Amino acid sequence: MSLLNNTLFTVARKELLDLFRDRRTVMLGLLMGPILFPLLILGMGSMVEKRTRTQLESTLELPVIGAQHAPNLVSHLGTRNIKAIEPPADPEHALRQQLHDVVLRIPPEFPELWRESRMATVEILYDSSRQDSRIPVGRVRQALGAYGNQVGALRLISRGISPEATKAVLVAQRDVATPESKRGMLLAFLPYLLILSSFLGGAYLVIDVTAGERERQSLEPLLATPAKRSTIMSGKILAACLFGMLSLALIVIAFQLSFMFAPRSMQLVAVSSTMMLQVLLVLLPMVVIGSTLLTLISASVKSVKEAQSYMSILMLLPIIPTVVLLVNPVKDELWQFSVPFLAQNQMLLKLLRSEWIEPMEWLVYFGAGFGLALVLWLMAARLYHREKLAISA
Amino acid sequence: MIEVHDLHKTFKAKAGPVHAVRGVGFEARDGEITGLLGPNGAGKTTTLRMLYTLMSPDTGSVRVDGLDAHRDAAAVRRNLGVLPDARGVYKRLTARENVAYFGRLHGMDEATIAARIDELARTLGMEDFLDRRTEGFSQGQRTKTAIARALVHSPRNVILDEPTNGLDVMTTRGLRGFLQELRAQGHCVIFSSHIMQEVAALCDRIVIIAQGEVRANGTPDELRAQSGEDNLEDAFVELIGSEEGLSA
Repeated sequence: MSLLNNTLFTVARKELLDLFRDRRTVMLGLLMGPILFPLLILGMGSMVEKRTRTQLESTLELPVIGAQHAPNLVSHLGTRNIKAIEPPADPEHALRQQLHDVVLRIPPEFPELWRESRMATVEILYDSSRQDSRIPVGRVRQALGAYGNQVGALRLISRGISPEATKAVLVAQRDVATPESKRGMLLAFLPYLLILSSFLGGAYLVIDVTAGERERQSLEPLLATPAKRSTIMSGKILAACLFGMLSLALIVIAFQLSFMFAPRSMQLVAVSSTMMLQVLLVLLPMVVIGSTLLTLISASVKSVKEAQSYMSILMLLPIIPTVVLLVNPVKDELWQFSVPFLAQNQMLLKLLRSEWIEPMEWLVYFGAGFGLALVLWLMAARLYHREKLAISA
Repeated sequence: MIEVHDLHKTFKAKAGPVHAVRGVGFEARDGEITGLLGPNGAGKTTTLRMLYTLMSPDTGSVRVDGLDAHRDAAAVRRNLGVLPDARGVYKRLTARENVAYFGRLHGMDEATIAARIDELARTLGMEDFLDRRTEGFSQGQRTKTAIARALVHSPRNVILDEPTNGLDVMTTRGLRGFLQELRAQGHCVIFSSHIMQEVAALCDRIVIIAQGEVRANGTPDELRAQSGEDNLEDAFVELIGSEEGLSA
């Protein structure tokens, strides 16, 4: 037993020593994520936030067709910080060309209908497929609605009817989302980045220590030693997992620091050290699954190149749950904690939204995660025992 | 002591199965150097791979110091020092670290490893590059590192696959002296080569392999007698059935 342990740590130590002597690779592997990811998330967040604020608070220039038919309406819009401007010649074309976000059309029959106290129609023209027009359209719609209500109420009062008579139900809204969970919505991207880094963070190391070692012709002498092949393989996986966890820890620390020093509006999640440790704990099974799966692939292919060509497919795997949840949002259920990638996604979202994770959920999560890792390990160990593995070229 | 009995090995290939080794058998005794001589592609490397348990034969058996190579593979590997055809070293580790890594995999303690490395470095003439990273090593320096790595656990039996491949004359001479030393210490040494002169200069016993079969097996004198030629070179040509093995 002691020999087995010795072999395991001997191999892991050698692989890490070998890796850390390759300074540039290590620097890229360890520092890229911690520097880029916070920039990406914070940068995107602050861009969205800034854009939203300008769109909400600045004066909205609204091309109005037929402004002369409804001077009262136009001046009401003015009180809402919406300034009517000359309409373009071809409004639909202008919208498609993104010259304007939204255009208002007041038809010629508006004054007549207005005087007869009948429903007068106005048209809002916009392109719903453009994200950017969402806020301006909302502002125009809200301003028009308010104007309609106001005038309607005045008409009722002039006829001696309480405006409340037409409002049978008053809807009051109370949002139960905690501040953390609201911000969590902004962070849908973060779990993907974390899962991807844990799944493939150590990929080049894993591919190098099996497929690369084989290509460099040092696997044959290694496998001719009395050390058990499965132990040698485990040592290599252990090294990759340690490296993966180290790079994740750096990423998590980088996030914590950048959230701490970011401006108040950008402090998207309450980052406590306990939470960060929990994030690392959640990612641990993913690191083991990723390293073992890549070892399995590396042991089955002929060359490093072939192993690397699997990477583009593997990179897509962590996106799948995010996309599925986007299209088809599901309620939290226990089975979700057993599906790889989806489980990590759910666990991370819960942590980011400061929600309580049931002990049963932890149990199912770790059971399924390490169970899958074990199955992959057994398959990889089988491949490691194949005669072909040792024979290079 | 290594006993090889009627080994067969077939590989699957696109063009159909390749019968690489067809009935190789010989005996390599302690205190002797046994040479496996044959042209390229004769099945030498495949035979050796079966000796050091990396491949299992389709039929036939290998016994190392009385242990079956298939059943007691781990014990057999402990008693073997192997310089395989593939002799890649870890280029970001020093020669010393490369050798020490294998010592640890053999379960040796650090003090023994250090002492053994010093001893091997002296014998093989590795002192001046022992603590340099192996990146940029010459072929000879790499081969010496690989040999030291193979022998770090002082194995009773030593198997070397074409050890002189790519070495210059001086290094080859040094290696020859080293093998003779191993023989004097009572080790069982097997090495393969496709160069007749080398085998003739070193070996107590020669096994000639061609097309996966043993064509002849015996001391140089026996081979001369068997072929009816006085000159060893003519004897080889006669026994191999071609002049392929003569390229030096």
